[in-house]
Amino acid sequence: MTRSVVAFQSTYRVSEPDLIARVLAGDRIAARELYDAHAGRVYRLAYRLTGDADLAREFTQDTFVRAFSQLPRFRGDSAFSTWLHRITVTVVANAMRRVKRFRERETDLEDVHPLSSDGPGVDPVLRERLHRAISALPDIYRVTIIMHDLEGYTHSEIAEVLGVAEGTCKSRLSQARAQLRAALADLAPELES
Amino acid sequence: MTDDRFEELLRDAARTYRNPPDSLPERDAMWAAIERRTWGPGQIFRRTRPTLHRVPAWLGIAATLIIGISIGRASSMLGRHQAPPQHVASVAAAKTVRTDSAVAMPYETETSQYLGQTAALLIALPSAMKGDGADDRLIARAAELLTRTRLLIDSPAARDPEMRGLLEDLELVLAQVVRLQENHSRTELDLINRALEQRDVIPRLRIAVADISAN
Repeated sequence: MTRSVVAFQSTYRVSEPDLIARVLAGDRIAARELYDAHAGRVYRLAYRLTGDADLAREFTQDTFVRAFSQLPRFRGDSAFSTWLHRITVTVVANAMRRVKRFRERETDLEDVHPLSSDGPGVDPVLRERLHRAISALPDIYRVTIIMHDLEGYTHSEIAEVLGVAEGTCKSRLSQARAQLRAALADLAPELES
Repeated sequence: MTDDRFEELLRDAARTYRNPPDSLPERDAMWAAIERRTWGPGQIFRRTRPTLHRVPAWLGIAATLIIGISIGRASSMLGRHQAPPQHVASVAAAKTVRTDSAVAMPYETETSQYLGQTAALLIALPSAMKGDGADDRLIARAAELLTRTRLLIDSPAARDPEMRGLLEDLELVLAQVVRLQENHSRTELDLINRALEQRDVIPRLRIAVADISAN
């Protein structure tokens, strides 16, 4: 990227607080810019939490609809992305409870989207066992390990998103990993090979 | 299992467990849906938010207190010659009761209207969906009611656990109705009907409307 292009972008790029102010004033172009900046990460998180492309798309929409409606309440105490991801986790958690209750498709979700078999080095059976073990974790542990180990959020970010202390987040991650190890314990000899 | 082996497994899971696509699918279509639900003709934010949210809570409480105190003073002046020892307590009690009920009133009114309109839509749904395509007006109405449902879930109206449960069930059903616009299949309709039946949604709606009206 040439220096002039960088200079142009830095001159004309609108800061996030400005974008938010413009959205609050009714500017839909600013709203689209916010969406473009954050939708990818929101969708990734929703997809990881649901394992279903349609649900992830629906919950991404729900997240933004809710975020725009609640934007006047955003005080800027945390980053906008943190606030948005907090809404995502809440939307997904609430909706998945209802989806499971109504459709009784909890176990079918894995079948609808077969487990990925790409990636070298790990036995497919072992991989599937690990995937099932992650899916079977209690929500508080599953969300934590997905955000930290799979999506690369820091403990500090997760703590803010989930509204818990950083120490709680670390403890949950430790518990999640311990439960995964326990779930794979009978495969221990294979794991050593 | 060694720590290294377990870490390797987790790294593999990061690549393979519910791994989302690299780019956001249907970016523009999703935005169109968000835009429609947020600012479209069926949405409710601009019409109801001023009454539900933009009026600060303290203003309502202050107004109620002023009315309560005025009524109390008027009552005490009228009753001064009859029962002077009791009027202080009665004024305080009247003030408290009037404050609570007056603050709750906008939500009760909104909830009552919302429940009635939702019941009407859900009762009309089967016949409206008999044609080949989803009824656009009905779906727009469902989208509007869905937004109101979410606002009510976040409002004091949902403090009552039963009401909250009903609102959450309605949120799911209305979301399913809105999705009919994209996928008007027999299966989707069956899912909606099953949801309505399994959760006794319509009878619970009627009871809730009757309860609010009785109060």
